[in-house]
Amino acid sequence: MVATSTGGSALGRYILVRFLLIIPTVFILVTTVFVLMRATGDPITASQGGRLSADELQRRISEAGYDRPVLVQYWEYLTGIVRGDFGTSISDNRPVIEVLGQYGGATLELTAYAVALAVLLGLPLGMLAAYFRDRWPDAGLRVLAILAYATPVFFAGLLLKLIFAVGLGWFPVAGRASTAAQIEMRFAGDSSGFYLVDAIRTGQWWVVQDVLSHAVLPSVALGLLTAGVFLRLVRTNMIATLGTDYVDAARSRGVRERRLVVAHATRPALIPVITVAGMQVAMLLVGAVLTETTFEWRGLGFQLAQYLTVRDFVAVQGIVVLMAVIVAVTNFLVDIVAALIDPRVRY
Amino acid sequence: MRTIRSSRGLTLAASTASLALVLTACSGGSDGDGANGGGGAGGGSITVGTTEQVTSIDPAGSYDNGSFAVMNQVYPFLLNSPYGTSDVEPDIAESADFTAPTEFTVVLKEGLTFANGNELTSSDVKFSFDRQVEIAHPDGPSSLLYNLDSVEVVDELTVVFNLLEENDQIFPQILSSPAAPIVDEEVFAADEVTADADIVDGGAFAGQYTITQYSVNDLIQYQANPDYAGILAAPRTGTINVSYYTDSSNLKLDVEQGNIDVAFRTLSATDVEDLRTKDTVQVVDGPGGEIRYLVFNFDTMPFGATADDADADKALAVRQAVAHLIDRDAISEDVYKGTFTPLYSYVPEGVTGATESLKEMYGDGAGAPDAAAAADALDAAGIETPVELNIQYVAERYGPSSGDEYAVIEESLEVDGLFDVNLQSTEWVTYASDFSADAYPIFQLGWFPDYSDAENYLSPFFLTDNFLGNHYSNPEVDEKLLAQATETDTEARVALLEEIQDLVAADLSTIPYMQGAQVAVVGLDVSGAEETLDGSFKFRYGALSKG
Amino acid sequence: MSVPISSVGTAGAAPEHLGGRWAWLRRAPVVHQVRQSVGLQRAMLLVGIVLTAAFVLVAVLAPLLAPYGPSQRSDEAGGFGTQQPPSVEHWFGTTVGGYDVLSRVIWGAQTAVLVVLVAVAASLVIGVLLGLVSGYFGGWLDRVLVLVADAIYAFPSLLLAILLAIVISGGQSSMWGGILAAALSITVVFIPQYFRVVRSEVVRVKSEAFVDAARVLGTPHRRIMSRHVLRNSVRTLPLIVTLNASEAILTLAGLGFLGFGIEPTAAAEWGYDLQRAVSDVTSGIWWTALFPGLAIVVAAMGMTLMGESLNDLADPRLRSRTASTEVAGDVAETSVQADVTKEDER
Repeated sequence: MVATSTGGSALGRYILVRFLLIIPTVFILVTTVFVLMRATGDPITASQGGRLSADELQRRISEAGYDRPVLVQYWEYLTGIVRGDFGTSISDNRPVIEVLGQYGGATLELTAYAVALAVLLGLPLGMLAAYFRDRWPDAGLRVLAILAYATPVFFAGLLLKLIFAVGLGWFPVAGRASTAAQIEMRFAGDSSGFYLVDAIRTGQWWVVQDVLSHAVLPSVALGLLTAGVFLRLVRTNMIATLGTDYVDAARSRGVRERRLVVAHATRPALIPVITVAGMQVAMLLVGAVLTETTFEWRGLGFQLAQYLTVRDFVAVQGIVVLMAVIVAVTNFLVDIVAALIDPRVRY
Repeated sequence: MRTIRSSRGLTLAASTASLALVLTACSGGSDGDGANGGGGAGGGSITVGTTEQVTSIDPAGSYDNGSFAVMNQVYPFLLNSPYGTSDVEPDIAESADFTAPTEFTVVLKEGLTFANGNELTSSDVKFSFDRQVEIAHPDGPSSLLYNLDSVEVVDELTVVFNLLEENDQIFPQILSSPAAPIVDEEVFAADEVTADADIVDGGAFAGQYTITQYSVNDLIQYQANPDYAGILAAPRTGTINVSYYTDSSNLKLDVEQGNIDVAFRTLSATDVEDLRTKDTVQVVDGPGGEIRYLVFNFDTMPFGATADDADADKALAVRQAVAHLIDRDAISEDVYKGTFTPLYSYVPEGVTGATESLKEMYGDGAGAPDAAAAADALDAAGIETPVELNIQYVAERYGPSSGDEYAVIEESLEVDGLFDVNLQSTEWVTYASDFSADAYPIFQLGWFPDYSDAENYLSPFFLTDNFLGNHYSNPEVDEKLLAQATETDTEARVALLEEIQDLVAADLSTIPYMQGAQVAVVGLDVSGAEETLDGSFKFRYGALSKG
Repeated sequence: MSVPISSVGTAGAAPEHLGGRWAWLRRAPVVHQVRQSVGLQRAMLLVGIVLTAAFVLVAVLAPLLAPYGPSQRSDEAGGFGTQQPPSVEHWFGTTVGGYDVLSRVIWGAQTAVLVVLVAVAASLVIGVLLGLVSGYFGGWLDRVLVLVADAIYAFPSLLLAILLAIVISGGQSSMWGGILAAALSITVVFIPQYFRVVRSEVVRVKSEAFVDAARVLGTPHRRIMSRHVLRNSVRTLPLIVTLNASEAILTLAGLGFLGFGIEPTAAAEWGYDLQRAVSDVTSGIWWTALFPGLAIVVAAMGMTLMGESLNDLADPRLRSRTASTEVAGDVAETSVQADVTKEDER
């Protein structure tokens, strides 16, 4: 995020300006998506073409109002969003806000597992790589990280499925829970969106196990991708920190390299990692779309792919706008954190 | 030594992984037995998996296979087909007949109720049809009620449908179609599509099953409805859970590994072929109502009416040569591994009145292609070969194998250099609006019937000004199509339908070439699927039993 | 170079003042970095270059290397048969559509290279132009462009590419139509990256003293600007290009996998082949998924290794310690590179 504001060294002012920047960012994305979706055809033809005559199709299209001027539809949509009304999905006739609520939780759950895994793997391995800088373990780890990046998440998912679900049969193939577990959870009350929470609420161990075992392969697929990125970040920042005067001073006092990595360089090296990691949210969302599709993990990404194929632009717009807001807000928070930590960031 | 450090790092990674393993290891065997109480007739529970998608379970708000599949379990019809046939009989009706040329009178059985306790009377029936017409949802099936003028309530049990055209022989079929499920007027809204959740909460069901758990396109739990009073037997299984998939390979693995009992619509050809070799499941085949066909645009095809060298005879010769050459067995076997079967007529096998007109008239007479006959046809019309054909097909809409399917068609048409085929594919939304606008000279389409009557495979396509917009017109066909619609004598009507198929087969407005088989994959202990895989193309869970 | 450039800093001190016939080659991007690198860093860079070169070679020589055409289902000996396991005739087996997997993999390289070339070239040209204009003129145009670029840059790239692919390719199925559609959808996502680098460079150079000096001397302002900016950018851009190239391959594969890519009969595309192979995998047919998948990994890996190594070499903090001594004092360069480092980390 490049903040274009000049002067204004006060933190409060920076935060305000940075916050106001969210609005045009989201506005631009909403507009882009709206224009693109309208250019892809109407949902009536998508669902009823091939059954009805051209005249009948046209009649229904105009009845639904899709032949009105785009600007009118655009204005309607914008005012709707401002009022918090995302419309009703065309293909399955549900309030979009409800769709967002239901599936947002699933995506959040998946990304939480993946990020946890990525931190558990990426952090120690990145430090390891920095410690062994330019020696074989470093090269090996870096190649692994690049491999994790270069492997499309759906190919990784396919391989994981082939080995652990089809071959060894350790984990289920797809989905978030077995049918039996899902029913059990629904009896326990309305879904919170987080299956782990729902499962614990049933009070039955097998439901929890079921839910967790469904989460393993998707989390690993998405987690490995993210871990590769984390490893790179940690290594880069750790190496940079090890080259600073502060660490040099410690080194000159005779502190050993291993201790330097663990004790002295960790904190300063990790702060930028946290802020940069926050910026990975866009990458994470793309990864989630592909992972969810591969594993039929019914989250926002999965639904997005479904809605796209039926040209349900009301639903697609809703999901995309939410993603845009998530990205914009995360970036905003990251910038604020960065500014708090390092005053030089405030331009 | 550095190795110590590195091994500690690895231990951390390894222990993280093993923690995950321990947490999740033995989850396979558990069964949610507590959930499956089941109050209905059969008891027990069966889990069905499907890749179909539900648009809306309100009959006025959807017109697709996935939604209709749900409606068939939970709503009653006035007329319906029993297991094993496509012919309709009174369902929750005592009787249903023409009482005058434009009056179709239905008398309901006595004491009908919905699962929520509300009475099901003639006023619910009137409500169900009136709201279809009133709402006329863009995605709804209200267009099927084209011949309905008004619905009249005579008394608690009697309704009269006033029709526009006399003696409409299709109307009984319409009453079993997606436009005709009977709904509860106290739960459904008269002028707008009712939300799925309201329908489920309202318990507005009077079919074989009621819905007790509903999570859209994710999970539906059905319980047998003790108050069901239609022609189908009481359900054999008390609880049916339906799990929705989007990826057929995941569905395939789950049924193969026994995580679900039944997989129905739609597994890929590869999946079905592989499952046939497995001894943990049985593959049950039935006739399918889905057909694929090639459409010729009579204006823009080679030698078509608006071409520079327009010549109706030559155009016909081109169509005949194509009909001689299409290798249906290759498509069926190579591409679809038998999940689609060769189709030699306009009406698919399993539907009353189906012929095999194209088999006798084209190819070698036994269903295989005949290049010599094709060459003769072109030669006799004085056409120089190769003839250039531009064939358009649609990506994805009819499954991922369309590309392969058309590669085979291209190959079979290019035999002996008779044709030079250019294949083009288009994304569906563009395709759907372009094909009827003369954009494509020859193009692919598929059809799934609205109701299971031969007429539904003929009128929409071959009446002048049909939805294909291919400029086909044959007064004799028009006349016979109109005649069969009001022919009250069943045998005479079937004869008419057969004549129409022969006539169109001579004209070749379209060339149908394959028919989708209905394939259900069930566990070894599940029975009954074969009974409901019939020409009505309604898959009733009530026929299934386990153990 | 007639203009004083001392304050800009030079890339790699040593080769810069070597004369001779091959000096331009030694100074060329990539070659320069190979010479600059040492040890493992050089090994990684070389592996990356070799993989990338192999990938490009396969693509160029596809007509010679591939035993069959991308949509060929039979030869003189008859049909290939569908889903046949690897054999002498078909080293990698055949697909569900009856195509030769090896041939599809090889032709797929061609599709990928074409898409990468078009995507990178288009985004480079448009991004650089917009960056120059925006940075040079400033004002509200600059602000709007920056805002738009930031918004697009922050947004999940694949999603944008999908939407664009639907808009662009609705109705096209020819090989070039498909390739252009895929490439252009990726292009839009990449433009902001070039835009930002070039723009910040313009803004920086604009404030340099020598530009004012040159103006006083009567040299056209704009010429100096573009010359300096482009000169400096030439060192930065190869890095973004390589990283973008690998991202382009992954985005293309993602588009294909989700069914929004190139139509299969028009050209071989790995992502699409993988999607078709999904149902094979569950039936124990591994060869239709494994080979296209590995092809994506190898191609993306080669480019990423190259990009990563270039990135390291550009950043003095990350350069191997033995090598860093020879290039002291390129402060200006570093500031640009640090920017880039941050970007590719996002």
